[in-house]
Amino acid sequence: MRTGVFHESFRAEERLWDSSTQRRWMLAFLLALFTMPLWGSDYLLAMACIVGIHVIATLGLNLTTGNAGLISLAHGAFVGVGCYTVAWLGKHGVPFWLALPAAGLLSAALGLVVGLPSLRVKGIYLAVATLAAHFVLTFVFREWEPVTGGVPGTSIPRANLFGFEFHGDRRNFYLIFTVAFVAALAARNLGRSRFGRAFVAVRERDFSAEILGVHLLSTKLLAFAIGAFYAGVAGGLLGYFYGAITPEYFALTLSVFYLAAVIVGGLGTVLGSILGALFMTFVPEALRLAAHLSSQWFPGVAALLLPMGQVVFGALIIGFLVFEPHGLAAIWGRIRRTFHLWPFKT
Amino acid sequence: MTRITRRRIVQGLGAAATLGPFAIGSSQGQTQKGDIVIGAAQPITGVFSFAGIAMNNGIADYCAWRNAKGGVMGRKLKYVAEDSGFKLDQSVAIFKKIMAAEKPTFFYGESTQWVKAITADAVAAGHVMTSSTSLATVVADPANVPQHFVPGPTYPRLHEILMEYIAKTYSTGAKPRIAYVYADTEFGRDGIPGGKARAQKLGLPIVEEIVTKQAGIDVAPEVAKLRRARPDIVIFQGYILAPMPEFVRQMAEAGLNPKIMGTAWGLDKPAYDALAKLGVNLTGASMYRYGHETDSAMINNMREHLAKNRPEVKFISPFYVSSWLSGMVFAEIAERCIKANKPFTLANMKAALEGMKDWDSGGIFGQLVDLSSHQIPVGRIYAYDPGKQAMEPASGWIKV
Amino acid sequence: MSEFIEYSLLGLLSGGVTALVALSFVLIYKGTGVVNFAVGEVMMLGAYFYYAGTVTFGLAPWLAFIGSMALIALLAMVVERAVLRPLSGQPVVAVLMATIGLASIIHGGVEAVWGGDTYSPPTLLPRTPLMLGDILIPGTALGNFAVAALLIGGFLAFFRYSKTGIALRATASDPVTAATLGININRAQRLTWVLSGLVGTVAGVLIASSAGLSPLLASAALGVFAAIILGGMDSVLGAIVASLIVGWVEALGAGYLGGKSRDIVPYVVVLAILVIRPYGIFGTRGIERL
Repeated sequence: MRTGVFHESFRAEERLWDSSTQRRWMLAFLLALFTMPLWGSDYLLAMACIVGIHVIATLGLNLTTGNAGLISLAHGAFVGVGCYTVAWLGKHGVPFWLALPAAGLLSAALGLVVGLPSLRVKGIYLAVATLAAHFVLTFVFREWEPVTGGVPGTSIPRANLFGFEFHGDRRNFYLIFTVAFVAALAARNLGRSRFGRAFVAVRERDFSAEILGVHLLSTKLLAFAIGAFYAGVAGGLLGYFYGAITPEYFALTLSVFYLAAVIVGGLGTVLGSILGALFMTFVPEALRLAAHLSSQWFPGVAALLLPMGQVVFGALIIGFLVFEPHGLAAIWGRIRRTFHLWPFKT
Repeated sequence: MTRITRRRIVQGLGAAATLGPFAIGSSQGQTQKGDIVIGAAQPITGVFSFAGIAMNNGIADYCAWRNAKGGVMGRKLKYVAEDSGFKLDQSVAIFKKIMAAEKPTFFYGESTQWVKAITADAVAAGHVMTSSTSLATVVADPANVPQHFVPGPTYPRLHEILMEYIAKTYSTGAKPRIAYVYADTEFGRDGIPGGKARAQKLGLPIVEEIVTKQAGIDVAPEVAKLRRARPDIVIFQGYILAPMPEFVRQMAEAGLNPKIMGTAWGLDKPAYDALAKLGVNLTGASMYRYGHETDSAMINNMREHLAKNRPEVKFISPFYVSSWLSGMVFAEIAERCIKANKPFTLANMKAALEGMKDWDSGGIFGQLVDLSSHQIPVGRIYAYDPGKQAMEPASGWIKV
Repeated sequence: MSEFIEYSLLGLLSGGVTALVALSFVLIYKGTGVVNFAVGEVMMLGAYFYYAGTVTFGLAPWLAFIGSMALIALLAMVVERAVLRPLSGQPVVAVLMATIGLASIIHGGVEAVWGGDTYSPPTLLPRTPLMLGDILIPGTALGNFAVAALLIGGFLAFFRYSKTGIALRATASDPVTAATLGININRAQRLTWVLSGLVGTVAGVLIASSAGLSPLLASAALGVFAAIILGGMDSVLGAIVASLIVGWVEALGAGYLGGKSRDIVPYVVVLAILVIRPYGIFGTRGIERL
């Protein structure tokens, strides 16, 4: 809690950024990001694009699983739906500013369908239902050749805004960054709206929420649909970025990756989604860097480190769950508090 | 600061920010001096690691071997590789990283996905040629994937070679009944339509077509279907080892004893050894000479190099030969450009590749090969010889 | 017609091994309430230990088998103490993700140590096939089913008649009352994990002997979820019956629709069951308190 900041109305309490210092930091950060194509290397930009895409998808999953408590293992498949939709629409001449929302909407519709079992079951049974939905969707990706290109995959024409073509990482970065910013803002707003509060109520104790007037089925379906919408948009941007995709990309490991990003980042917070996606995307890179550096001083360690990618992934998940269940967002909050209250201890 | 100056600064920043992305990157090729860099994203860990390690060694060893012989017209080959774990996110990131850091002239990738994802960037950069171990049809496409070449025939070509061999072997008497058993992956599926088309043209009946998951499967219902189809020949495609031995064992128990055939990566030592233990002599269409053959200068070079530098490697896998061959083609392209005094741009290198119409692969292929279509549609039939416990040639070199 | 019977028989037999994997899962869910997504990986690890024992260390197959079971039992105890005990109060998501994390660790560890190659471990059982008229049953199917049936029968008897088995059931249904009656809850839960690991190892070794050993073995366990949901996640008998049914449907699918249908048939079954009878055939209907 920042000292010297006193809220005098409900509206003030709900504000996204409560002090001018916070606003200034945010602006500086946005400016740095916005100008990254000027000062960043190709590699950094490519990584930033990938992180941006993962951030959007993680924001969606955090709404479904973090805010509303509905475990979804089908998120990777929804990303795939978005990607293939954009590919198919693009081939039929639909411009990207129509194709991208359409991809989101189609994913949302499928999210509604996948969420239907929440009518009958909850908790782990719902999770297994989403797992089944994931496999059904990936089967469709592999088999429906006329639309998805089947096992060899499909190519996606580049995004085109009235003649300005988004080829190359620098241009795609702007597209992805803008969408990510809007998505994060929307998620934050959703969290502090009526629907966000309904989600949290459903997560904590859904019978009580129903007694209080929250319509359970529509809230749960909305949670699935919105999460899937985000995933669809992320998938569409993924398609525009890579230009070609195969169904192997949308395996169960992708859904697990997003769940891990949500857990590691912090359930239910937008900051958590961003930090989680950033962290999980950079773990393999960091591992490779560590292997590379260690091979210069301790040869032989690299051979041990490289296959450890999955082990590190699993160990991180378990480590965060056991030691820091509220994720990176909580660690970030603690660091901020130390700075605010310095030189006093927290 | 005055308001005007502040405004000017903000305007300047805004202008810089808007103009920034429109700045065109340069596409200069490497100059004629200095090392020739070969970048690579290899699946050293992950599901494809059995091939990735061999592929990594293949190019690394070729570079070392070539450098020991003076490099390419005096310029050394520098190999920069990173582990991609067979994940697209990582392999694309590695490509961009190495492209930014080293400006390589050549790049070796891990999969068909990767080739399709980086093609636009590679063409835009304009100074890199790529290759990969994938023999998929989609990447042997000079028009759409101009910077890429396939170091061998594509999967359909291999199946066509196999069908021609079957037709010739069974030219008298009844046509053999053929069954296809393949995995539901690109490696499994890509070649099947070509094989089926050629079989139809040659009048060979395909009596059963079985598609399976990649691995971890229960083959009993599949064998039941094969039992009813009674094939004389079973062609496996898309498996390195499992589940072929289990199929053979259960077919033997069911009283079936068809000839077992395969192609390319399915004819490697683990496969033919395991099947030999069950009494089956594997036959198939392979595009390279095997590592134990002695009538090829380049294969002998590989063996010597491995014996000296990697004594723990017991046999040469076709993945190793494939990447060594890619290294050879890279070096040949570089050499032709240097001799013609042309910089390493995409246009020049592509022209050099397509000019390799009668290229000597040092015996990896048994005839002079033509790379103008960005693939090498040449192969030979090999059959397992129980006496020598190795695969021996069973036909001449066939070009399709 | 004989085709139908053949596929059905093969399916039922393969359902026996699926039943083992399902049993491994249900034991943990029934005993500790934890949803264990690492069932496939534990199974795979047990098979790899067996392979290491026979091939790398040259032990006799039976000795290696017992050795691998001992190692897995040890691992189960470590996991229970280090991972599940600290997470005992947490929401379902957390525990689920912990088991997924565990699965990743085991999978990565196996790949790091043994690589991605496929191995052929020696078989424990004879392979003579059985001919019933026009129908041929391969020896592996029969052998696997026999072992699975024996083990499951043993477990059912154990839970019914032995003191420890009844203690485990008591802990599963009401831990507080069981503790009041003097049952050591911690030990009971640890034993549950160990038993689950042992059953998984047996299943892993059986599958590896016939289908080959590679890191992809773990994904064979995903199909077990259909059986678990169909049977009810906390019912041992349900898991067995459902595995047989799912194995039967899968074999029919593979026979009549082609091998690719194996990927999708179990999951369509899951979705259908969740709509019709969410708690499965034998599962207990969950009762929630407000």
